[in-house]
Amino acid sequence: MAGTEHTVEHASTSELTVRRKQRHEGPRNHLLTFGLSIMLTALSFVAVAYALTEDSHVEPWFVSFFIVGLAIFQAVIQLGFWMHMKDKGHGYAIVGIAFGFFVALTCLAAGLLWSWW
Amino acid sequence: MSSVTHSDPHAHHGHGVGEELPHEPERATLEGRNKILGFWLFLGGECVLFGTLFAVYLTLRNSTLGGPSGVELFDLVLVAWATFLLLTSSLTSVFAIQAMHMKNVKQIMFWLGITVLLGAGFLGLEIYEFYHYVHEGHSFSSSAFGTSFYSLVGFHGAHVAFGILWISLLIVQLWKKGLTVVTAPKIYVSALYWHFIDVVWVFIFTLVYLMGRMG
Amino acid sequence: MANAASAHAHDGHHVKRYGGLMDWLTTVDHKKIGILYLLAGAFFFIVGGIEAMLIRLQLMAPGLDVVSAQHYNEIITMHGTTMIFLAAMPILFGFINAILPLQIGARDVAFPFVNALGFWLFLFGGILLNISWFVGEVPDAGWTAYVPLSGEQFSVHRGVDFFLMGLQIAGFGSLIGAINFLVTIINMRAPGMSFMRMPLFTWTAFIASALILFAFPAFTIGLVLLTFDRLFSGNIFDPNMGGNIVLWQHIFWIFGHPEVYILILPAFGIISEVIPTFAKKRLFGYSTMVFAIILIGFLGFMVWVHHMFTTGLGPVANALFAVATMLIAVPTGIKVFNWLFTMWGGQIRFNTANLFAIGFVPTFVMGGVTGVMLAVPPADFQFHDSYFVVAHFHYVIVGGIVLGLFAGLFYWFPKMFGRSLDETLGKWIFWLFLIGFHLTFFIQHFLGMLGMPRRVYTYLDESQNPGWGWMNALSTSGAFLMSIATILLLVNIVITMKKPKTAPADPWDGLGRTLEWTIASPAPEYNFAQTPIVRGIDAWWKEKMDGKTAMTPAEPLGPIHMPSPSILPIIMSFGLFVAAVGFMYSDVLNGYYVAIGGLAITLFCMFLRSVYDDHGFHLDPTEEEGVQS
Repeated sequence: MAGTEHTVEHASTSELTVRRKQRHEGPRNHLLTFGLSIMLTALSFVAVAYALTEDSHVEPWFVSFFIVGLAIFQAVIQLGFWMHMKDKGHGYAIVGIAFGFFVALTCLAAGLLWSWW
Repeated sequence: MSSVTHSDPHAHHGHGVGEELPHEPERATLEGRNKILGFWLFLGGECVLFGTLFAVYLTLRNSTLGGPSGVELFDLVLVAWATFLLLTSSLTSVFAIQAMHMKNVKQIMFWLGITVLLGAGFLGLEIYEFYHYVHEGHSFSSSAFGTSFYSLVGFHGAHVAFGILWISLLIVQLWKKGLTVVTAPKIYVSALYWHFIDVVWVFIFTLVYLMGRMG
Repeated sequence: MANAASAHAHDGHHVKRYGGLMDWLTTVDHKKIGILYLLAGAFFFIVGGIEAMLIRLQLMAPGLDVVSAQHYNEIITMHGTTMIFLAAMPILFGFINAILPLQIGARDVAFPFVNALGFWLFLFGGILLNISWFVGEVPDAGWTAYVPLSGEQFSVHRGVDFFLMGLQIAGFGSLIGAINFLVTIINMRAPGMSFMRMPLFTWTAFIASALILFAFPAFTIGLVLLTFDRLFSGNIFDPNMGGNIVLWQHIFWIFGHPEVYILILPAFGIISEVIPTFAKKRLFGYSTMVFAIILIGFLGFMVWVHHMFTTGLGPVANALFAVATMLIAVPTGIKVFNWLFTMWGGQIRFNTANLFAIGFVPTFVMGGVTGVMLAVPPADFQFHDSYFVVAHFHYVIVGGIVLGLFAGLFYWFPKMFGRSLDETLGKWIFWLFLIGFHLTFFIQHFLGMLGMPRRVYTYLDESQNPGWGWMNALSTSGAFLMSIATILLLVNIVITMKKPKTAPADPWDGLGRTLEWTIASPAPEYNFAQTPIVRGIDAWWKEKMDGKTAMTPAEPLGPIHMPSPSILPIIMSFGLFVAAVGFMYSDVLNGYYVAIGGLAITLFCMFLRSVYDDHGFHLDPTEEEGVQS
């Protein structure tokens, strides 16, 4: 169908009702994401602060893995909820970000594994 | 406004009032959908951009040449505050988009304004932080660690600065032109951008500051 | 530029329609931008070709002084950089721009303004790079610009800075061009054209654009960091300050390897269009071909270390990347077999376009097999930095990409310009170029095995380097043949452009299979008066086989909205050009005012673009033009 410059597609009444419902649920999800992000961030900071105290015996590499894991989780929920990647119509967005992340990983591998010896 | 398509030359171009607007105005035109998709793809490229910078930083983070390292330099309290400001600004940009879906122009402008203020606060803290570091002997040219740190964190800061400028100008555009199927995609895309730089910051505070402070 | 449809203003806005030079400077029409890319790319191809001739003249016999050693380093650097970034990529972009929207039934790309911007950024980047010749400070560290040679200690003059800045600007152009093509293909296909009904050239443009999107940002960072080191006292690549040298190689090749797939994939696409058309037989194994393109694109990101086997990363890393490299040969081989199976049993027409396409197949295969040889690390320890490598990559780049581009040129010339290139001259060009090419580069495999290193400006005589003399002389002779072929091509283009525009919509006697052959030659400004409905692979062929004489339209005839031309893209590009010069010459210019001024010009143009909405204008295709003329 030839795309139209400013002709706007109007949804049916029932669709609008459904969408209105989703919109009212929206703020809750977003606030939840915010709260989770704050908690995950705080958790990372606390983990590191704890690891730095003298009498903790936790291994630094473990803490590193832990906070990186938290960071990835936080990134995923921010992408999913705040950037709507969980909603339909975001297939290409997901592929785009996923492949970008994959290439970024190859760069990280290059730097971390194959640059010093 | 620049796609080549078939259309009725006498149709309204959606200048103006909210009640004529469809429910997701940013996606209502081919133009808008193109812009949103194009921007997501651009963000994929930005993943690689920051990924490379992260890789360089992580490779060189220990090359301090005897100068101060992350363990001595990084003040986690400051970083925590900066993170809180940026994270909250990301939330307020979400509220701006919700206001856009409710067609409330004043609300959009309000929330975008808060976003800009919080972003400026973040930048202010970061500038103060850098100023402090330079006095401690950690500058762009002091070592490979120095260059890679300022390249990564500085690039992010530059993105925040550009975002602040962009969103401020969009607030003015909203004020002058109102919410239309032309301005809506711009608002949406700027919010995507703002979220993205917050996601990048999550990795910066984790990989640079937290891991750096641990040593 | 003839245009039967009448333009009229919209909403009372003044219609901006320029003529002559202003038309070309302000155009946002993908067809014109495609021609601009082709013209600029052809110009730089000749510049790179002259550089190649100088190389071959210098190496014709031992101990020559045609050029000095310093100049030789400059010439090889500029030859590689120019051919890859300023000739091959732009010419490919030219074809994608001119043809892709036609193949998917679209009226333009997704972002016409950004399309124009991409071209002007490329052009200014290329101009900046070549200004180095005029100021006598030419990049001389190879197109790969390895550190520490390219760092501030060993490359004191500004040559490498021209390289970094020129490619940075041109690189932005490529990146935004890629995003444009991706969105166009995803969002703007004609109704009925699912992904698995797209022409192969469109598929390769799609995957190559994805490669550009993900590979160029890495290169951007590499260029930025080396710029920091050279201009702003950065320390990323300086071991004395804790920097790391091999990091540059990683960053460069993480970009550099996908870059060569960016170059070859669209050439594959052209071959996949030309061979079925002139075998009068559909492409064998469409789905497999698509899958192979995707796999090549994906694997292309996992093999970069094969350029670094001798840096000492160790056997584990080397083995991993050796296997990954050999894996890429599999989907590539599948494509070769499918081209052969397409031809088998077809009614083959040996016109110039098809000669180039058929010549491509064995030539590229030769390049591919030497690639597999190079993929074996112990063997590569012998081949690395020798002429064997030079032979390999010229076989795939010249024998592959350039032959593909020539095929595309002869194939699509009538669609772009309304007349077909002369066939007799075309055949002379083909044979001269093919023979010249093999003469030049086949012998270089043996030169490499005899130990001749690459990037050397001369060598010793028969007593010390036996055989090198006559082999190099033979190699140079081939270069003369390629030069003559190129000159004949220019002659062909000039005499053809003097002929009247008489080409029909399908100038290949009804052999056209895809949508671009359903509209007039050259295409009307709006491409399709009515967007067609697509019912299968080879959309136009399908309709013809079902007895139709035109595509079924998807919409009624009516006024067509067009984007307005704009002078902003060229000004924006100029702004970045000024900024680059400002950064490079900040010491001479007493500060960064020029640099900041340049950036301000660009930013201000972006602001203007955002604030002043483009209302466009409308064209009315006349009733007689209909869907197909």
